[in-house]
Amino acid sequence: MAFAIEAEGIFKTFRTGWRGKRRTEALKGIDLRVNAGEIFGILGPNGAGKTTLLSILSTLLLPDRGKVHILGIDALANGARIRERVNISSGNANFLWSLTVKENLHFYGMLYGLVGRQREEKVNALIGLLDLREHQNVLFDRISTGMKQRLSLAKCLLNDPEVLFLDEPTVGLDPNAASRIREEIRSIQKERKMTVLLTTHNMREAETLCGRIAFLKAGEILTAGTAQALKQMVRVGDVVRIEFQGRISEDDILRGDGVINYSISGNLCEIVVDDGEKRLGSLVAVLSQGGAEIRKVTLRQTDLEDVFIEFAKRTDSDMGLRL
Amino acid sequence: MSLSNLPNGLIRIWAFVFKNWIITKRNIFSLFEIAFWPVVGFFSIGLLTTFLELDVNMSGFILTGIISMSVIQVCQIDVAYVLLYDLWSKALKHTFIAPIGSFHLISGSWLIGVMRSFVVFLLLSIFSALAFGFDFLRPGILPLCLFLLGLFLTAALIGVSVCILVLVFGYNAEVAAWSVVSLLYLVCGIYYPVSILPFPLPVIARAIPLTYLLEYFRSFYGFKSVSGNCLGWGFGLIGVYLILEAFLFKIVLHRARRTGTLLRLSE
Repeated sequence: MAFAIEAEGIFKTFRTGWRGKRRTEALKGIDLRVNAGEIFGILGPNGAGKTTLLSILSTLLLPDRGKVHILGIDALANGARIRERVNISSGNANFLWSLTVKENLHFYGMLYGLVGRQREEKVNALIGLLDLREHQNVLFDRISTGMKQRLSLAKCLLNDPEVLFLDEPTVGLDPNAASRIREEIRSIQKERKMTVLLTTHNMREAETLCGRIAFLKAGEILTAGTAQALKQMVRVGDVVRIEFQGRISEDDILRGDGVINYSISGNLCEIVVDDGEKRLGSLVAVLSQGGAEIRKVTLRQTDLEDVFIEFAKRTDSDMGLRL
Repeated sequence: MSLSNLPNGLIRIWAFVFKNWIITKRNIFSLFEIAFWPVVGFFSIGLLTTFLELDVNMSGFILTGIISMSVIQVCQIDVAYVLLYDLWSKALKHTFIAPIGSFHLISGSWLIGVMRSFVVFLLLSIFSALAFGFDFLRPGILPLCLFLLGLFLTAALIGVSVCILVLVFGYNAEVAAWSVVSLLYLVCGIYYPVSILPFPLPVIARAIPLTYLLEYFRSFYGFKSVSGNCLGWGFGLIGVYLILEAFLFKIVLHRARRTGTLLRLSE
C-alpha cells in the first residue's frame, strides 16, 4: 500500500530563553502512516504537539530527528518539490490585511505559478465553491472569522494539492459556521480524492470527518485507529440511565446481559453495559418484570472523549503521573 | 531556474510586484515615502547650499548625495517590505509554504522598488534643475543609467540585509528597515568626501559600493575620484555582497524552518 504521508521517529525540541537553555520537547518519536485518499485526524489537547507535527509534515518546520516521506518523496531533502503538491490551511487564518479576498487568492495563485486566464478561472471557481462571492472585493481585515476560514480553505486548494493539511480548521468558529466548514471539507475531499491530515481538539469533528484517528498527547501518539475500533479497544461501556418509580433490585440488574457496573441513587439508576444499543431492550424488560415502573430511559454511548481520557489515564499511570 | 520553468518563475516574481503595488496604492503613507520626505529633505539641503553660496559644482556634489540617498531609501524599503508586510499580517508561513525561492521574493519586490524610486529620481532631478540649476544629465545617458543601476542594486543589498535580520530577529528587526540606510549617510560621502572621515571610517567607506558610485558620478562634475576604476569597484563589491547575501538568506531561512521562527511570526 502506498502511503501519502509516512513519518518515522520524529523528534522536535524547541529551545527558548538565553542561549536556548530552556527546552520544550514538542514531539517525542512520532511514527505515522496515512494512506492515499483518506482523511486522517490527529486529536489532542492544546499543547499536545499537533501544529508542530503538521508543520513538519508540510515542510514549514524541520524536525531534530526522523524521516518524513510525502507522496513517496523525502520531504526533508526535497522541500521545494513537496510544496508544489501539498498545501495547508490553519484555524485563526491570517492573510495580507490590505488585500481583498480576491486579491489574496490571486497573489497566492501566482506563487503557485498560475498565470492569466488559468488563474482567473481557478480563483473564480474557488470563490464560488466556498461561497465567497459576496465578499470577494472586501479587504481581508474587514471580513468575519468564518469568511477568513473559508478564504483559508480556498487558498489551500489553489494548487490542487494531493495532500492537504488542515490545522484546527474550525477553531474559533460558531457552531453553524464550524458545521458548514466541516461539510465543505468533506465534499471537497470526496470530490477531489485528496489525502487530508487534520488536527483538532474537537472529538466530534474528528469522529464525523476522519476515517482514522490518532490521539496525540504531550508529543506522543497514544493510539490510532478508526473511531469504532478505538471505542471497542477501550471498552469503557455505554451508560443506560433509567428514571423509575418503585424498586429496582441489584439481582435484577445483574441478571441483565452485558452489565459491567451500576449505581442506584433515589429514583435514578445508571447501568454501564458493554453495548448500549444491543442490551437496552432486554435490560428494560428485566427491570420491568422485577416490578419497577420505568419512567425515562436515556443512553449515552462511549464517545471519543471517553476513549481519549481512558488512554490518557493509562499513559499517565504508566509514567507515574496524575491525570 | 531552468528555461522550462521561466514562465512559472516570472509569475512568481510578478506576484511580489503585485502584492507591493496593491499595498502601496492603498496606503497614503506610501505617497509620503515617494513625494513628501524625499522632496522635503531635498529642498532643505538644496536651500542650505544656496545659503552657503556654494558654486554649481559644489551644490551638485551635495545634491547628488541627497538624491542618491532618497533613491536608495525608497527602493530598499520595498525590498524590506516584502517580508515586513507578511510579518505585520502574520501571514509569513503562507509565503514560505508556497514553492517559491528567495530569488522570486527579492527580485519581485526590488522591481517595484526600482519603479517607485525611479519616480523619486525623476521628481528630484527636475527640481534640482529648476530650483538649483543642477543638470543631472551632464555626464550623459549611459553614465547616468550605470549610476542609477548601482543605486538600485545597493538598495537591494540593504533590503535583503533587512529581510535577513527579520528572519533572525523577527519583530525586533523591523526598525532596521528605516535605520540601516542611515549608516550610509555617515560613511559613504553623501555630503562630504570620505577623505575627511576619521579612522577607521574611511576603511569602512571603501568596503561600501555606494562610495565608489558617488565618486564615479561626481567625477563628471570636476571632482577627482580617489579610486582608480570606481565603477569596477562599485559593481564588483555589489556582486560579491549579493552572492554572500544569497547564501546568508538561504542559511537564515533554513534556520527559521529549524527553530520555528516562521510559525512563531505567523501567530
